[in-house]
Amino acid sequence: MSLRRYSLWEVVKHAFSKEVWDVLWPAIGDTLYMVIFTAVITLVLGIMLGIVLAVTGKEGITPVSWLHRGLGTIINCLRSLPQIIMIIITLPLARALLGKAYGVNACIIALAASCTPMFARLIEGALLELEKGKIEAAKSMGSTNLKIIFGIMLPEVIPAMIRAFTVALIAIISMTALAGNFGAGGVGDIAVRFGFNRFQHDMLIATVFSLIVMVQVVQTIGDVCSKLILKKRHLI
Amino acid sequence: MSSYIRTENLYKSFRTKGNNVQVLKGINLEVQKGDIYGVVGFSGAGKSTLVRCINRLEEPDSGKVFIGETEITALSKRELATKRRKIGMIFQNFNLFDAKTVFENIAYPLELEKAKKKDIQKRVDELLELVGLTEKKHAYPGQLSGGQKQRVGIARALANNPDVLLSDEATSALDPQSTLAILDLLRKINKELGLTIILITHELEVVKYLCNNVAVIEDGIIVEEGEVRNIFLNPNSNTGKVFLKVSKEFQKNEFVSGGEGI
Repeated sequence: MSLRRYSLWEVVKHAFSKEVWDVLWPAIGDTLYMVIFTAVITLVLGIMLGIVLAVTGKEGITPVSWLHRGLGTIINCLRSLPQIIMIIITLPLARALLGKAYGVNACIIALAASCTPMFARLIEGALLELEKGKIEAAKSMGSTNLKIIFGIMLPEVIPAMIRAFTVALIAIISMTALAGNFGAGGVGDIAVRFGFNRFQHDMLIATVFSLIVMVQVVQTIGDVCSKLILKKRHLI
Repeated sequence: MSSYIRTENLYKSFRTKGNNVQVLKGINLEVQKGDIYGVVGFSGAGKSTLVRCINRLEEPDSGKVFIGETEITALSKRELATKRRKIGMIFQNFNLFDAKTVFENIAYPLELEKAKKKDIQKRVDELLELVGLTEKKHAYPGQLSGGQKQRVGIARALANNPDVLLSDEATSALDPQSTLAILDLLRKINKELGLTIILITHELEVVKYLCNNVAVIEDGIIVEEGEVRNIFLNPNSNTGKVFLKVSKEFQKNEFVSGGEGI
């Protein structure tokens, strides 16, 4: 249904019809698949890189200047690529790894490559904000660096990490929409193919609605989790 | 009698924005075993840096630190980590781990020693009783008052039976009542456990109340040291004189303001 032929009210009404959602549900499934896989990769790699960035820095617990600078430069390079360019660049990589340069799996590589550096910086920031005194206290008890990282630093900053992950997850959701243009399917693909190319504005409205719901759900869950932990620790 | 904690010609400087600021300029400190030793001075005098050099939270530029027979400044990283378990330290901001309960905070240094679970339970209970916080065992630091937090800090510092306790402005963030209680606690553990305590402070009252001996630090050097009584009855250094003057000034004011209420 196009807004050129029908009234806004009718289009909106039709956006929630079975006809539209029969097309949309599989696409939402694709989007969730991409988001979840990318999120797991981003989470694991991002935390690892974030820790390395934080501990090897000048003020970190074990400064390694070349590693800090080298990793920082690589991350900055990756972050300076707009996501659409990242997708194009990683297409050959996807072809080499998966045999084809299109489809949901191929795009996960690009999504992870784009979101991991961002998440790593957020984690670094969260770790750097931890009071130096706590780390010193652990040191003064004879704690090894590994125990300081996993026994003190990470548990202390979990609420901040959850918030950072919420931001990353929403970035991933918005990026999957872009990936739809490159044969990845998903909600973004539907929006472009039906909503833009064919003027099916009911489809467009439905995709917008589903994206808003997804982002709201993620943000709410993130807020609630970090708040629950802070409350348990009586910090708020 | 030979001293238990000893520093020889300790130098330390910090580089900030190209400037080299010399904070310690040849500190020779001698503390007897079982003593409660105060180090006083104004902000920026270097007293905090001095105590942090003793367990090498700051690496001195040159000079030596001894505790007993061990030359702290000669230890490797690994040896230092092991030795630090026998040097307790408490802080102005308590530095408790907010993610851990009181129990877990005190258990942390014991876990580093790979103690058995049952032994940890027992030891933590002992320590909680010593500092009088048994009923707060499962509370989070966020639920505690300043004085209670510092008690946990002390319990945590004592967990591995250290023979030295370094106190870096441990009472400076507390109200007078809690300060007094913490000082009494420190005196108790000094007596009962024979701990040697080095106490950094800018509060003259604290030194008068608790310490046997005191060193006055001014601009990176020790300008005066000796028994607390002698130093503050008859200070020779500038810092000592100012401290005494301020202390007297306060007493005068207290008297006047006390009279107003009548």
